[in-house]
Amino acid sequence: MASLAVTPMADNFLVPNGTFFVELLAFALLLFLLGKYVIPPINRAMTARQDAIREQFAELDEAKAEAHAAEDEFKSQIADARHEAARIREEAREQGAAIIAEMREQAQAEATRIVEHAHAQIEADRKAAAASLRSEVGTLATTLAGRIVGESLDDEARQSRVVDRFLADLEGAS
Amino acid sequence: MALIGVLPLEGGSDIEIGHHVQRTWLGMTFNVDTIISTLVAGVLVLLLGFWATRALRKDTEDHVPTKPQILWELVVGEVNKQVEDNLGKVHPYVAPLAISLFFFILFCNWLELVPTELTIAGHDVHLLPAPTADTNLTYALAAVTMVSVWTYGIRQKGVKGYFRHFIEPFPVLAPLNVLEELIKPITLALRLFGNIFAGGIMLALIGLIPLYAMWAPNLLWKAFDAIIGVIQAFIFALLTVLYFAMAGAGHEEHESHEEYLDEERRKKAEAAHADDAAPVPAH
Repeated sequence: MASLAVTPMADNFLVPNGTFFVELLAFALLLFLLGKYVIPPINRAMTARQDAIREQFAELDEAKAEAHAAEDEFKSQIADARHEAARIREEAREQGAAIIAEMREQAQAEATRIVEHAHAQIEADRKAAAASLRSEVGTLATTLAGRIVGESLDDEARQSRVVDRFLADLEGAS
Repeated sequence: MALIGVLPLEGGSDIEIGHHVQRTWLGMTFNVDTIISTLVAGVLVLLLGFWATRALRKDTEDHVPTKPQILWELVVGEVNKQVEDNLGKVHPYVAPLAISLFFFILFCNWLELVPTELTIAGHDVHLLPAPTADTNLTYALAAVTMVSVWTYGIRQKGVKGYFRHFIEPFPVLAPLNVLEELIKPITLALRLFGNIFAGGIMLALIGLIPLYAMWAPNLLWKAFDAIIGVIQAFIFALLTVLYFAMAGAGHEEHESHEEYLDEERRKKAEAAHADDAAPVPAH
């Protein structure tokens, strides 16, 4: 008869019955299986992916830094090259100017030399001409004078004396 | 049968509420339909879980997740974050517990949406009723949760430290504090039960509408019920984490948590805010 008192309680859906223990067991089993075989691999995969992403970002930063460094080096090399080119150009210009100056100087010297040489030549020619003139003019003049005077002036000594006096007169007059 | 409500409806159809297919074994009554649906839900969760991890067991360096893996990572990641925010670290027991609770309750709730009501030899048989519409399941889950919470609290603060918070801030409040600890599992269980049970009753009532008019409210209610299923699973899992946080609040593992100092402070502030009734005891 006790079951009559128990039955309404057992049929009340707010009061647990034996199913409670089955559910407890079922959930414990589920928790065990998920906690042991499902959730750790998921966690590991998430961590591994986060690590991989972090690593890739680090690599990216590194690559970026390297690229920047390479660019800087490239730029500095370009600048160096430009500088070098400018220097070479400047040097060439200076050298050119020096060569021109030197050539000009040489030409000047050569011209001077040629002119001097010409002067010397002329002087020598003049002297030679004068010398030859002196000897020839004497003869010519003596001959002319002899013809005019009718007197032979072939005597060497006298002839040269006359000519010298004549020339001395000329120089004295001039 | 007096306490089981039988809604007498015009037209002679009865909706039996809280009726289960029962077998008696070892002097205890077992709700066979609940047990079967529990097994179905559990197997579905496990299938989903092993489907997700199948690709992970292959030894590849490929970090691209498969679709079921993304689903799991969504839940696992969110729960881990919650656990870390509230407990200071991803606790190796609390996080799997909350994840298992979420998926299990979700699948249990969604069994409600599968139309498995049959009429066999004049009897209405519901092959797969939502097992969460049976208090046995919700009591069991709440029991697992609360026993774990109490164990966690005692292990975090020591027996003395844990029981001291019952008489704080004033010893007069001890009965209320004890009552609160006992009410927690009951609310946890009955909230879930009530929501899903009510959903089932709604579906049964809608089932009484003639077939040509039934489809619209049925569709609407099932869509709504699906969302309720998610929300209830989420609430159960979240409250589990929060109860753990309350049980462990006011205690820091100094030796292992140096790096979490800021996190810990924030966590304590949140926990203290969420837990007015269980104030943080001084060290």
